[in-house]
Amino acid sequence: MADLQSRLIDCFSGVFPMLAADEIPRASTTTVEAWDSIATATLMAVMEEQFGIQVAPEDLDRFVSFREILAYLQSREIAD
Amino acid sequence: MKLVEALKILRDNPPTGSENHNVFLACGFTPLHLQTFLGAYLRRLFPDRRISIHTGLFSDCLGNLERLPKSPLDAVAVVLEWDDLDPRLGLRQLGGWGPGIHSDILTNVENRLDRFFKAIVDAADEYPVALCSPTLPLPPISFQPRWQDGAFELELHDSLGRFSATIARIRGVRVASRQRLEEESPASERRDIKSELTTGFPYRLAHASTVAGFLARLICPPAPKKGLITDLDDTLWHGILGEVGIRGITWDLDHHSLIHGLYQQVLGSLAETGVLIAAASKNNRETVDQAIQREDLVIPGRYLFPVEAHWGPKSDSVGRILRTWNIAADSVVFVDDSPLELAEVKAAYPDIECLRFPTHDYREAYAFLGELRDLLGKETIVAEDSIRRESLRRSALFHEGDSASLTPSMGFLKDVEAELSLDFAKDPEDPRAFELINKTNQFNLNGRRYSQGRWRDYLRQLDTFLLRVAYRDKFGPLGTIAVLAGRRQPEALQIDFWVMSCRAFSRRIEHRCLEQLFEQLEVERIAFDYQPTQRNGPLQDFFSSLLDGVPQPGFQLTRDRFKARCPALFHRLVSLPNG
Repeated sequence: MADLQSRLIDCFSGVFPMLAADEIPRASTTTVEAWDSIATATLMAVMEEQFGIQVAPEDLDRFVSFREILAYLQSREIAD
Repeated sequence: MKLVEALKILRDNPPTGSENHNVFLACGFTPLHLQTFLGAYLRRLFPDRRISIHTGLFSDCLGNLERLPKSPLDAVAVVLEWDDLDPRLGLRQLGGWGPGIHSDILTNVENRLDRFFKAIVDAADEYPVALCSPTLPLPPISFQPRWQDGAFELELHDSLGRFSATIARIRGVRVASRQRLEEESPASERRDIKSELTTGFPYRLAHASTVAGFLARLICPPAPKKGLITDLDDTLWHGILGEVGIRGITWDLDHHSLIHGLYQQVLGSLAETGVLIAAASKNNRETVDQAIQREDLVIPGRYLFPVEAHWGPKSDSVGRILRTWNIAADSVVFVDDSPLELAEVKAAYPDIECLRFPTHDYREAYAFLGELRDLLGKETIVAEDSIRRESLRRSALFHEGDSASLTPSMGFLKDVEAELSLDFAKDPEDPRAFELINKTNQFNLNGRRYSQGRWRDYLRQLDTFLLRVAYRDKFGPLGTIAVLAGRRQPEALQIDFWVMSCRAFSRRIEHRCLEQLFEQLEVERIAFDYQPTQRNGPLQDFFSSLLDGVPQPGFQLTRDRFKARCPALFHRLVSLPNG
């Protein structure tokens, strides 16, 4: 779990370089101004690359906060 | 390159105040990760610059190209896909795929290619253009099964092929190699259908990275190596000359040694584009001289210069060859089949590119031939390329003729019937001037390299001038060997660039150039944008002789001081009509 979270933080820091590491777990589309549709697409691509998964288009709606995405990864039973 | 890696490369900003490097990326799809990868590759190439990738409107590649921004750019990258030529060849519009519309698509594609051609030519008039023609496979639009090519698909590829062949001839346009792209990114691994339909970005990440890497190399090609030193036994030919004799060495099918013939063929082809080829062999000199005279050698023996054949260390041979060529080790490739010899040369010359000739592995050997093209291939061939080898031979004669290596006597200089042509015509497109600026190290005012776009912008400024200098003497022509560029300022003539080929040293050409600047441009003082570099020692020595001290950045030279220090000059001057 802890490793999954740190790997996700790594993805976020690539897409949102302006966020400090301790801000990332609280990040969401409402708190991060730069989180637009392009950022979502980039985040999805980085996650697919880093976790070796395919995100279904309908799951993109869940990509609205760090917490939601972490829960999504846990539900996909991604190995730590 | 992984996407997360590209993002991290872009995250680390260069120091504040860094120069900008502006590239316009014209494509019809949302540029998304291609933009990221391109920025990252360019950032690797220009670590001290702030990279800006500008893009235009989604779904309008042609319009974006026709409406290039007015702000200065360093390059334009164009990435075409089939739906830029007709939306029905893409996946995001449902315009029908029936056979009844095929002829209309063909007509439309021809018309669009004509417009793209014009837009790219216009862009290339202003900036260097890197072009990648469609890389995604056509959709299942044809009615034949996929193992069969129909006339419709063949005609589409034919139109595109004719377009690419024509545009590749336009100066300033570089086209990505379809064959090499196919090797690095197989066609079946390119499209990301989910991404294309959800975000409008059609490439898989690996393909986007490959395309971006190609574009970056087209925008900023690596400097080609200038020379290759080859071993002979079991490298240039099969067999040990000392054991099998002159008739026993082979490079043919009958002796299963054709890979050596192919190697000779590549070297011959490189030699004909101006690459210097020398031989270094542990052998008896006389036997080698006879062997390279064999008429069936694929590379003519005269292409090998110099030939070093003796029993001493290979590094000694390499050292002598480098001195004869007068180029640095990092501009040279050394090829040998022996790992021991490669290691010995590498230890003596760490900067030289050492490659093992894979004598016993055809597959590796064939890949090796391709690698040689990557290292030594060049974008264009200029007149000087065809005379470089002969001018080096003459240069050797020049120095032998005076029996003094670096400072020929006055009597000798007087007798060589030297002739200098000075050409003040300002041609921003002259590839030789641009090449000299970007590859000369030893006689180089400041080591500054310019992209083609910046070079053009510089020369298009009204107050700049360009001087190209060509040389010949009784031993033959050296071609265009020096370039000076600068600006006329009220207080002094400002020299921003001054480079001279090392083949032209020891002829007092640099003195004559300065003399002519003072006289023809009628100035009393010249300011030099000088910076010492690790390699420009010969230029520093020249100025030290005029200044009685080490030159400092931004130093100035007056006409009186120059006249007082200038030695006797004997060149006959030829001013060109437009000079």
